[in-house]
Amino acid sequence: MTFVIRRLLMLVPVAIGVTIIVFFLIHLIPGDPARTILGIHATPRAIAILHRQWGLNRPLVSQYWLFMDRLVHGNLGQSLYYGVPAAGLILGRLPATLWLICYAGLIAVLISVPLAMIAASRKDGIRDHVVRAVPLLGLGMPPFWLGILLIYALAINVHLFPVSGYGTGFGGHLHYMFLPALTVAIALAPVVIRSLRASMLNVLGAEYVTTARSKGIPAHRLFLRHVLRNAVIPAVTVLGINIGFLIGGTVVIENVFAIPGIGQLMINSIFERDFPVVQGVTLVFGVLVVMVNLLADLSYAALDPRVRFDR
Amino acid sequence: MTQRFTAAKTMLTVGALLLLAACGSGGSSSSTGGGASSAPVHGGNLIFAAVQDAQSMNNTTVFDNNSIWIFEQIFQPLYTVTNNGKGVKPWLATSYTMSKNKLTYTFQLRHGVKFSNGQPMTSADVKFSIDQNRKATQGWAYLDTAIKSVDDPSPDVVVIHLKYPWAPLLADLSIFANGIIPNNYAGQTEAQFYTHPIGTGPFKWDYWHKGQALKLVRNPFYWQKGKPYLNSVTWTDVPNDNTRELQLKGGQAQIDQTPAWSTVASLKSTPAVNMFLFPSTQTNYLAFNELRKPFQDVHVRRAISYAINRAALVKAVLFGNGKPANSLFPPQVPFYQAATAGLQYNVAAAKKEMSESSVPHGFTTDILVPAGNSDYVTIATILQSELKPLGINLKITELDPNTVNEDEQTLKYDMVLTLWTMDIPDPDELATFAVDPSSGAKSFFTAYDNPQVVKETHEAETTTDPAVRQKYYNFIQAQSAADAFMAYLYYSPYPYATTSNVHGFFVTPLGNMHMEDVWLSK
Repeated sequence: MTFVIRRLLMLVPVAIGVTIIVFFLIHLIPGDPARTILGIHATPRAIAILHRQWGLNRPLVSQYWLFMDRLVHGNLGQSLYYGVPAAGLILGRLPATLWLICYAGLIAVLISVPLAMIAASRKDGIRDHVVRAVPLLGLGMPPFWLGILLIYALAINVHLFPVSGYGTGFGGHLHYMFLPALTVAIALAPVVIRSLRASMLNVLGAEYVTTARSKGIPAHRLFLRHVLRNAVIPAVTVLGINIGFLIGGTVVIENVFAIPGIGQLMINSIFERDFPVVQGVTLVFGVLVVMVNLLADLSYAALDPRVRFDR
Repeated sequence: MTQRFTAAKTMLTVGALLLLAACGSGGSSSSTGGGASSAPVHGGNLIFAAVQDAQSMNNTTVFDNNSIWIFEQIFQPLYTVTNNGKGVKPWLATSYTMSKNKLTYTFQLRHGVKFSNGQPMTSADVKFSIDQNRKATQGWAYLDTAIKSVDDPSPDVVVIHLKYPWAPLLADLSIFANGIIPNNYAGQTEAQFYTHPIGTGPFKWDYWHKGQALKLVRNPFYWQKGKPYLNSVTWTDVPNDNTRELQLKGGQAQIDQTPAWSTVASLKSTPAVNMFLFPSTQTNYLAFNELRKPFQDVHVRRAISYAINRAALVKAVLFGNGKPANSLFPPQVPFYQAATAGLQYNVAAAKKEMSESSVPHGFTTDILVPAGNSDYVTIATILQSELKPLGINLKITELDPNTVNEDEQTLKYDMVLTLWTMDIPDPDELATFAVDPSSGAKSFFTAYDNPQVVKETHEAETTTDPAVRQKYYNFIQAQSAADAFMAYLYYSPYPYATTSNVHGFFVTPLGNMHMEDVWLSK
């Protein structure tokens, strides 16, 4: 528990660091949100009115303090583009990205574990080579291209899945998000398979495994109860790091599959110079990455009772 | 002992997941590709795959087209644009009279018009609506500058008093910003009203999930009997061209907004899909910054304009779906003069102009292009090779679109690509923005200033005689072409693809859509 609290408290300096860096970086980039919104009608007067409305006429440091003051009260400011609270906008889009990441992670695990077991059980055999080589195709293919291929194959030629979108309700999300999640999982799986296979091979050479085999324990029980649990921790680390990258890295998939996630929101907000939303989304990204890493660490203790964090 | 973990177990697990996911609610529907049915059919929910999400429903302040084309289904003006885009026709007003001094217009309102909340529309609503647009501190108020006051002497009569005779008045009144809303925002604040707007249009507000979908449903009080035919229209945010096309082919959407030019030919031959190229008022230009040397030199600008092979641009960028531009005005704008020669492709003339210029041996210059815009990159690349024979070394600078926008508006560029589409069926707005340096747009941010052209632009505004206006606009078109303050590149249509069960879909040259006329066959 102390460990968890300590890790959660780390969120504070992470959040502060992220907000400082992003706030000043986004304001350094050329481009004025007022000009973007006003377009050809951007007269000096119209620009000045919007700047005053949005507080952009204040010094940068003053704007930052205002942002932080609002943040401690749970207010991320107002979207300059939509004119609605940025927090509501972000929270409305966050579930779609979380769905994509979790669903992709689940599919990646469901693909990787059996394939890693097949490869490890037949080291240097044909199955091992096939399992190691074929998934690399997924790693090498650009996600947007793979996504479109899957749409053609499973949504256009055969109407198994919708072309794109997010759907409504749990069942709808499960249905609509399968293809995008599969696209991400195909890119995730090769790394997880290789990592898991390597750890399994390591564990398979251990004396207790030899002992278990000599006692006549069936192969499937051997793998599931003795080998996998001991081999999975490095793969959890790899998966955790990749999922951390995915947070914010799903924008291409969100674009191809028209998923209303925060990756797409971030890109649009950068183009529109919607500062409050950019700041808010980056803060959410930072928090999520810390939480994912915390979950990965906590899973070690769940998987291996020898792992203890509190000394 | 052999460890056998056959692929079967793996496949079983993954297959179970597939089955679980496939059993999820909703299945993709395929386009029925129904045969043509002559009589409109009531019912159906149309999905419109849009390039971008809307920004706001505030019709007086927002400039974003995706917002405009949606709230035009909710708010209606007194007059609306004709199908050819060159005039107006009665809409919420049925007729008008003009005083002899041309300063007072009296409008008769249509009887039986109600808002979507059941409240009858009266002149008080019209007065409130136009006054609100006039008061907006940013937005479209400039179009109502000529209006001195609006009166509502009786529930079905509105009187507009002008400060001076104003030829574009009806065109200005036809803009969405002058769309009629309930008096006093139906008892709400302005901010509250525009989150759930109320209008007289064929559709009324349902919901907006930002970044995902915006839905309007049938207005049961709509004044055109029997319309709209559709139960609802949902605009979905689908920024990827390929995805919109796939949604159309997969039956997940019925309208694909602006398919990529490269796909037009294939969509034309796709079964159960109709590909439309509606004539538009969109014109693409190459702008020159006259505050930077050598673009203050008319010979340099004319040379560049002559050197551009517009037919090649149409072929490369639009895949042949457009026309070379000859005039500041596109053909769908009133008073467009087809006889304006423009400075069309002529390499000999280009070289002659360069020889007479201040830089006869050429120079190095830069063109700003928004990163990620493949059409603009193609244009810039073609220009690069076409200007080389003149000794002009053109560097292409790709920047983030927002930065290009900022540099263009603050005149920190040499050359930049730009475009225009009409908001009203009158050339006044275009002419003013394009050639008047004192307008907010600083002559389309070129710093172009020809006093005679500016003078005739203002004269054309206050003259109501069409023949006289035509003379003014003929001069403006001819002189601005000769001055080559911009090189006119091409006119492009509005591309839309629909499934073949969509009927009645039409887009005016100004981009307006009357979704009340659209119906879906079974």
